[in-house]
Amino acid sequence: MNGPYFLSLLVFSPLLGILLLAFTPKTQERTMKWLGFLSTLPSLILSLFAFFQYLRGYRLEHLAEKRDWIRFADFPFLTESTFVVRYELNIDGLSLVMIVLASLLAALAAIASIHIKKEWKGYFMLFLLLEIGMLGVFAAGNMVLFFIFLEVTLVAMFFLIGKWGGFARERAAYSYLLYNGVGSAILLIVIAVLFARAGTSNMELLKEMLHNPAARAQLIAPIPDGLRLSLFIALLIAFGIKLPIVPFHRWILRVHVQAPPAVVMLHAGVLLKIGAYGLIRFGIGLFPDQFRDFSFLIAILGIVNLLYGAFLAFIQDDFKMVLAYSSVSHMGIVLIGLGALNEAGMQGAIFQTVSHGFISALLFLLVGILYERTNTTELDRLGGLAKAMPLTAGSLLAGAMASLGLPGMSGFVSEFTAFFGLFQTAPIVAAIGTLGIIMTAVYLLRAVLNMTFGASKSGAAQALDMSVTEAVPVFVLLALIIMVGVYPRILAEPLQAAIKMMMNGLGA
Amino acid sequence: MMEMAWIVPLFPLFSFFLLLLAGKKMKEASAYVGMLATFVSFLVASAVLADRVGGSTYKAEQVWLAIGSAKLTVGFEVTALNAWMLVIVSLVSFLVHMYAKGYMQGDERFSVFYAYLGLFTFAMLGLVISPNLLQTYMFWELVGLGSFLLIGFYFYKEEAKAAAKKAFIMTRVGDVGFFIGMILLFLQVGSFEYSDIFKAVQDGTLSQPMVTLTAILIFVGAVGKSGQFPLHTWLPDAMEGPTPVSALIHAATMVAAGVYLVAALFPLYEASETALLTVAVVGGFTAIFAASIALVQTDIKRVLAYSTVSQLGYMMLALGSGSDVAAIFHLTTHAFFKALLFLAAGSVIHAVGTQDIEKMGGLWRKMPLTAALFLVGALAISGVPLLSGFFSKDEIFAAAWMHGHGVLFWIAVVASFFTAFYMFRLFFLVFGGEERHGAKDVHESPAVMTLPMLVLAVLSVAAGYIHTPWFGTFLGDWLTDGGYAHEKTPSWMMIVAAIVSLLGIFLAWLMYGKRSLARDWLSSRAPLTYNVLLNKYYIDEFYAWTVGYVANAISRLFYYVDRFVIEGIASLITATVNAAASLGSRMQNGQVQTYGAVTFIGLALLVAILAFTGGYL
Repeated sequence: MNGPYFLSLLVFSPLLGILLLAFTPKTQERTMKWLGFLSTLPSLILSLFAFFQYLRGYRLEHLAEKRDWIRFADFPFLTESTFVVRYELNIDGLSLVMIVLASLLAALAAIASIHIKKEWKGYFMLFLLLEIGMLGVFAAGNMVLFFIFLEVTLVAMFFLIGKWGGFARERAAYSYLLYNGVGSAILLIVIAVLFARAGTSNMELLKEMLHNPAARAQLIAPIPDGLRLSLFIALLIAFGIKLPIVPFHRWILRVHVQAPPAVVMLHAGVLLKIGAYGLIRFGIGLFPDQFRDFSFLIAILGIVNLLYGAFLAFIQDDFKMVLAYSSVSHMGIVLIGLGALNEAGMQGAIFQTVSHGFISALLFLLVGILYERTNTTELDRLGGLAKAMPLTAGSLLAGAMASLGLPGMSGFVSEFTAFFGLFQTAPIVAAIGTLGIIMTAVYLLRAVLNMTFGASKSGAAQALDMSVTEAVPVFVLLALIIMVGVYPRILAEPLQAAIKMMMNGLGA
Repeated sequence: MMEMAWIVPLFPLFSFFLLLLAGKKMKEASAYVGMLATFVSFLVASAVLADRVGGSTYKAEQVWLAIGSAKLTVGFEVTALNAWMLVIVSLVSFLVHMYAKGYMQGDERFSVFYAYLGLFTFAMLGLVISPNLLQTYMFWELVGLGSFLLIGFYFYKEEAKAAAKKAFIMTRVGDVGFFIGMILLFLQVGSFEYSDIFKAVQDGTLSQPMVTLTAILIFVGAVGKSGQFPLHTWLPDAMEGPTPVSALIHAATMVAAGVYLVAALFPLYEASETALLTVAVVGGFTAIFAASIALVQTDIKRVLAYSTVSQLGYMMLALGSGSDVAAIFHLTTHAFFKALLFLAAGSVIHAVGTQDIEKMGGLWRKMPLTAALFLVGALAISGVPLLSGFFSKDEIFAAAWMHGHGVLFWIAVVASFFTAFYMFRLFFLVFGGEERHGAKDVHESPAVMTLPMLVLAVLSVAAGYIHTPWFGTFLGDWLTDGGYAHEKTPSWMMIVAAIVSLLGIFLAWLMYGKRSLARDWLSSRAPLTYNVLLNKYYIDEFYAWTVGYVANAISRLFYYVDRFVIEGIASLITATVNAAASLGSRMQNGQVQTYGAVTFIGLALLVAILAFTGGYL
């Protein structure tokens, strides 16, 4: 593992695919699909390599990269690193896990993209651009870089939804852009204020300056408690839109329904997680005191998300909508874990981001397979799929079981750990939240059994079961879900150091 | 051998994976894979039991997940109770595997059926060797999955779909109680290990209210799984599954898991009179409640299902009366005779193609072996002297009486009368009298089906003698490690029990055998009572009108909030922006004066802000 270029290589390797695609004739469908898939592999291999090296004791600090980039002011009285934005990439256990998740889902979503019907060239170029953005977000070492990568995902997603989506794709794309644009704007203000007052946007330095009394002297201007509070609330809203926290969730419904399933795999699997990641990185990392004061509210918000999403998922007529509200509901568990303000909760929250990444990707993969054959995901028009498509129906049921937290699958570990954390700090709230465990089973079984059990309905009666190409990502995801469920240490160990560090920050 | 106990559940798991992957090609051979796996499990389990009889408890575990400083472990433990359960589960599972080869013959998804059976057996065996609550909970949910898959085996039937869903959700309601209770226990004790929990109970580290609270919460889980009132409604509906499944899961093993759980945590319950009383009352009530419903049902499997609910109530009553031995003893005998009854019922259903007892009759002549075996089971469950049910039920009566539950004791006695009556009502209607079915070519089932029934029949007769006041309380002594204090059952109690059960049989004979009493006695004399019983006290309807209605109402409410309030506010914001934009564009009117004014106001504002904030926003 060669330090100075490793992370850059990891993040920007899809660029090669974009270049190659640019020179491919646009009628070459097969070539482009292959190219799209193959270009996701280098980052996958590199991230897995880093992951296993880290498990064997490699220190991630060696991977940090730092290069001069933008210098805003050159006053003699300022030190070398003031008002400078550097190109800084570095990762810890948490970002590494997120990078593995992103690169893995990107590869699988690229396989699922075989169902894309038109303009493959543009699609895959944007798809790979999206991947660069996702990887970059998690590898960024300062807030400016984080923001730039975040905007890259925004632009790429906007076009992916708007061009390759369903009937109401344009409305969905604009809705996506509006909500996330507002979120980004708020985030940008926070970054600007911090940069102006601290003279840096490097996360480590910021953290030092905000908390360490000795380093506080380096601040250009003081950051009083009132300002900290407003910055924290701004961050909560900015990432609350992304996660999403009710009532900022309306946009994800449209995206879930309208975007092509392969893109939703990444949207639900990775992009929503940027909200969780941001809350942890910046919310807890930079403003631990404010976070502590707000933790009870965050837990309540989590319960609201969990129950609100679950009850709404219960009466949806379209399976995609069920899954959309299910995402809202499951992100509630992330908030519950964070609100618990202890190691168990934090671990549960991070487990849930990863677990929901796998599970939602699996379910949308199956939605794609289904839609390809039946042209609908409306519950009333589907039924008895288990007869014609036993593999698909079985996988769907397995996905639902994972999602409702069946032990032996990843969903259980995260749900259990998060609740385990919250019961320590707020047992009554947690007990109310367990109603969500029942409701999740209710709405998922209602939806999935409606589609797979019962009498065969027209349209699905003669459908072919999934092909080998379609089955590969399904089984990879199922295997991962079961692996985390049975052997959770594979996730817990790389996260340990990062969690410990954050708990220290929180003073717990 | 005990250190190898962990291998017992793995054979059925292997069978599950193998059949899932290659079952389609193996077809009928799938049955042999399943049978072989469970048979090997049974052999190893027997060896473990033999080892445990002469030895002491063995436990091994390792870290599964570290959460901060808390280390959660997985492993296995061979206690007397665990070893005993291992043998029962693997034995009944093996017999059902064998039986199903005949019963499921020709089914399109034959191998899938065996795969699911393997999954279930794996989970059930895993459940009974778990050394801690968390692991128990995990397998607890997995047996629920196995049950769900097998109830919904005939997935194309709407009833099967509804029943599977209901079973999963109803038991999950109970599981949440288990979930909360388990976490609360951990927060107090710092461990999920049974041994640590017992130690904390003993030391008094666990406060009395906490003991009661956690014990009752975990009991809620047991109520769900063991079909106790008020979470019992899923179990009769679960009869939509194939009959071998009803025998294995919904009679002999999984539904007894609730009883097992309370027994495994018994020191916790013993520490709280309130918790014990709750268990006893729920059990006693369920026993008579379900038995009364069974009196009038006309579906052979549903009668047996309500009978199971009632018998599980007996076991809970035993636990609540402080006798875990009586509960486990009855669990054992019940596993044998109820599995036998279900398999015999399956044999009948297989032959006549209906489950309606009104459409059977006269099968004694056509299926003599099945009839005889069913009779053995019926006699055993009715508590006729010398058969296993007599001894195990007596033990429960004695426990209830000794523990001072006079009312519950008499309730149990009446329920026992009901039991004898409904079992023999079933027997006379199905096997006696004239033929009322239209099926031609009714004949005895093949040997692969009758052989397991034969084995179970022998056990139904003989299993009682492992624990009798006459020859020795071997089971009790062993389960309690020699500390079994058997207060002698008063002999009047045995006589009462025997008379009650014989009376029940006699009454059933009068009504359905000899027919000197009118069959519609109840329905004509007390139509209201009859209808309430026939409709199972309208519990399902009650739930639909309360829980179902409320859940729907909340969902609707949220739907309108989402659709109109939240979306409305979002639209309002965009509309405001739009309005501002059009206002702005209207100001682009080419008049330099306006521009100048706007510029000036803007500049003034900026200066003001700068002045107020001192340069930094």
